[in-house]
Amino acid sequence: MMYVVLFFLAFSLLLYVLLAGADFGAGIVELFSSKKNQAITKKTIYRVMGPVWEANHIWIIIMIVILWVAFPAYYNIIVIYLHIPLTLMLLGITLRGVAFVFRHYDAYKDKSQILYDWMFKISSLLTPVFLGITFGALISGKIIHTTTPIDYSFKILYIDSWLHTFSILTGFFFAALCAFLSAVLLIGEASYGDKKIYVKKATIATIVVVLFGFITILYGYISKIQFVIDFVSNLYAMTTILISAILLIPLWSSIRKGRRVLSRLFAGSQVLLILIAALTPHYPSILFTTDGGISILDNVAPDSVIKVLGISLLIGGFVILPGLFHLLKSFKMIKILERH
Amino acid sequence: MENLDAARLQMAFTLIFHIVFACVGMVMPFFMVVAHKKWLNTRNDIYLTLTKSWQKGVAIFFVTGAVSGTALSFELGLLWPEFMKHAGPIIGMPFSLEGAAFFVEAIALGFYLYGWNKIPEKFHWWTGVIVGISGVASGILVVSANGWMNAPSGFDYINGEFLNIDPIKALFNPAWFTQALHMTLAAFTATGFAVAGIHAYQIVKKRNVALHKKAFKIAITFGAIAAILQPISGDLSAKDIAERQPVKLAAMEAHFETSKGAPLYIGGIVNQETQEVTHKIAIPKALSFLAFGNLDAEVKGLNDFPKDEHPNVAIVHYAFQVMVGLGTLLLFAGVFFFITLSRKRTWFHSKKFWLLFTVLAPMGFIALEAGWIVTEVGRQPWIIHNIMKTKDVVTPVPGIVYSFYMYVILYSILTIAVTWLMSRQIKSLNNKTLVET
Ligand code: HDD
Ligand code: HEM
Ligand code: HEM
Repeated sequence: MMYVVLFFLAFSLLLYVLLAGADFGAGIVELFSSKKNQAITKKTIYRVMGPVWEANHIWIIIMIVILWVAFPAYYNIIVIYLHIPLTLMLLGITLRGVAFVFRHYDAYKDKSQILYDWMFKISSLLTPVFLGITFGALISGKIIHTTTPIDYSFKILYIDSWLHTFSILTGFFFAALCAFLSAVLLIGEASYGDKKIYVKKATIATIVVVLFGFITILYGYISKIQFVIDFVSNLYAMTTILISAILLIPLWSSIRKGRRVLSRLFAGSQVLLILIAALTPHYPSILFTTDGGISILDNVAPDSVIKVLGISLLIGGFVILPGLFHLLKSFKMIKILERH
Repeated sequence: MENLDAARLQMAFTLIFHIVFACVGMVMPFFMVVAHKKWLNTRNDIYLTLTKSWQKGVAIFFVTGAVSGTALSFELGLLWPEFMKHAGPIIGMPFSLEGAAFFVEAIALGFYLYGWNKIPEKFHWWTGVIVGISGVASGILVVSANGWMNAPSGFDYINGEFLNIDPIKALFNPAWFTQALHMTLAAFTATGFAVAGIHAYQIVKKRNVALHKKAFKIAITFGAIAAILQPISGDLSAKDIAERQPVKLAAMEAHFETSKGAPLYIGGIVNQETQEVTHKIAIPKALSFLAFGNLDAEVKGLNDFPKDEHPNVAIVHYAFQVMVGLGTLLLFAGVFFFITLSRKRTWFHSKKFWLLFTVLAPMGFIALEAGWIVTEVGRQPWIIHNIMKTKDVVTPVPGIVYSFYMYVILYSILTIAVTWLMSRQIKSLNNKTLVET
């Protein structure tokens, strides 16, 4: 059952990064668009994201619930030492969600739209940055895990653990990844004339992601972040990265040709590969403190709990996944019909 | 401010905010599908306009409820890390099922909102029903988690460790049923009266009366039925508490000395130091009867328990008075509505009738918040009744007060914004149908 639970944890993580990532990215793409393109993007985002918007974001709740139910000790460290970036991320999620409904459901479309749009774009950028920072902080080995917090200053325990160059680089890398996912998604959704806007955006985003990825790893290596050093010297991780680098070529050409399904497939597999590469070298340690890695499998919940959780997840999965699939499919069909 | 106080205030504030959106998100879909059904049956365009405008309301409230809920699910850990470390695995069951219910709700809502004229009419209507049902299901599940904090079960507590965990038994803890029933009714009462009141106000203002009367009727019917059932369920809760959490009961009633044939106090000013209640009306033997169904039963007073296990008596007592007072008021209002139904010719044209229901609009929600204050403040100092104290599990991260301020500012702005958005929704509704007719 442990494996079922771990599978759902990883699966939710993957889907959250893909779906919510593309969702955040939409706001980032809009932020970096000219005025005319912004209006087009706004319409397209609404058409594409509207029906599935809520469902995209529930994955993070599933993740959190799995963490606290099955891996309470591990979760405990995260919520204590990364309290501040998590709170800031929540602030972003709140503002973004609210801005999204406001701008599409306000009964009057007037000047207040300008405010909603800015709120949406800015929080779309900041939320993934803080998410990335949180993840960067998890693996950077700067968290001081202590039973006597009195001995340390506030800054050392709760700020320095996450506010450093490496985690900020990770934050920007993640934001760029979101923009990349979104641009690729939008290629397939835009009407014919607008397609080239997103082909161009996707091309730029790919370059930015690769660049940020490279800089992050390079910086991590130079500043001797253990996770990165191990990562670079791990055969599996490096092979995975190599594969993803090779896959960039077909990705690139499918973007150029504006192939919707193929480019999405390649973009998705980039994310999958990056996650695999990041998580394998140290599994089951996904959290690094100054004293080294902490295994997610330490102090797990008792078997009875894992069993019930696993069964609930399986049942939930059987109910939800077909529904979700049907939702995505129905609206895709409708969109295709509408275009003709 | 101390960290503990700040954390408690933040928890209370965010929950008080979330519950309003959660209730509306839980109950509005039912109003919406009734209006929708009436449209399908009669093809009267007024019902279609109404359905579509309520649907926008549902969407706005759903998202605000969802983001504040997302924040809450992090907050449990962020503010009470030690609590979640131990309680998480035990009450994970309702929360993971709740996650599934939310998911179903979000999927169904996607179909409903975007499915107009695209998916088969019947199926479309049913997706609306599913939104409502899964909303209520998730509400019941969270409340069951809260019930567990009041009536912990499904584990053995040995030497400070939680052993032999049985998540299913924890889900069906002794408090879950009474609390979930009372809460669900409360959601219908509060939302029913609030929505009815808003439409009643529009009728007072003589705006688009035909539409608002139809809206009013749908909302108040739900609200009135729930309000009539509410005191019965409340009595069940009180009897439950008398068994399970006698300290809470004593605090609710400001009952200091253990006695047989205990009187029930109505009103009264509590002085916790001198243990006196002044300016009260006492009904002899009524408390014994209400709590145990026996006029002479013994009711434990606060003094039977160690002082450091007392909750804040004044807050609990006042909040309880507010809830029960408003509950009685809404009960009468509900009965009154059904009486007017049978002779509507005269009453439905009287401005006073609509003014009355306008004034009642916020009362359900006030009673609901008051009820939660009774439950939650009355549970103090325990976070898990008789097992774990709130002060021992608060986060070690200093400066929670700043995060509290952040939430106050953020949610105050949101409240204003959502209110403003709703008023624009109504304004556009009034304008739209004026043009059409
Ligand atoms: C519309 C709202 C509303 C109304 C009219 C009432 N209540 Fe209530 N009450 C709630 C809304 C509520 C609540 C907010 O939903 C609570 C908090 C926790 C819960 O399960 O329900 C609650 C809790 C609550 C509790 C404590 C339960 C616990 O701690 O486990 C008792 C004893 C009562 N109620 C009793 C009553 C009585 C005797 C009422 C008579 C009129 C009444 N309530 C009306
Ligand atoms: C939505 C309606 C609710 C309201 C208005 C509410 C209100 C409050 C209030 C006023 C407090 C502060 C009590 C004090 O410290 O004096 C509190 C604390 C708390 N509540 Fe609730 N509550 C609600 C529902 C829930 C539910 C459903 C849960 C759990 C699943 C929950 C979990 C907690 C926890 C963990 C605390 C903090 C620890 C404590 O003070 O005991 N609450 N709530
Ligand atoms: C009595 C208290 C509560 C009730 C009745 C309640 C009910 C609901 C309902 C019906 C929704 C759906 C949103 C909507 O339709 O507008 C919702 C959203 C949510 N609630 Fe609560 N809730 C309560 C307290 C809590 C607590 C204590 C937590 C945190 C642990 C929580 C976590 C959530 C989450 C995560 C969501 C968002 C789910 C989504 O994305 O759809 N709720 N709540």
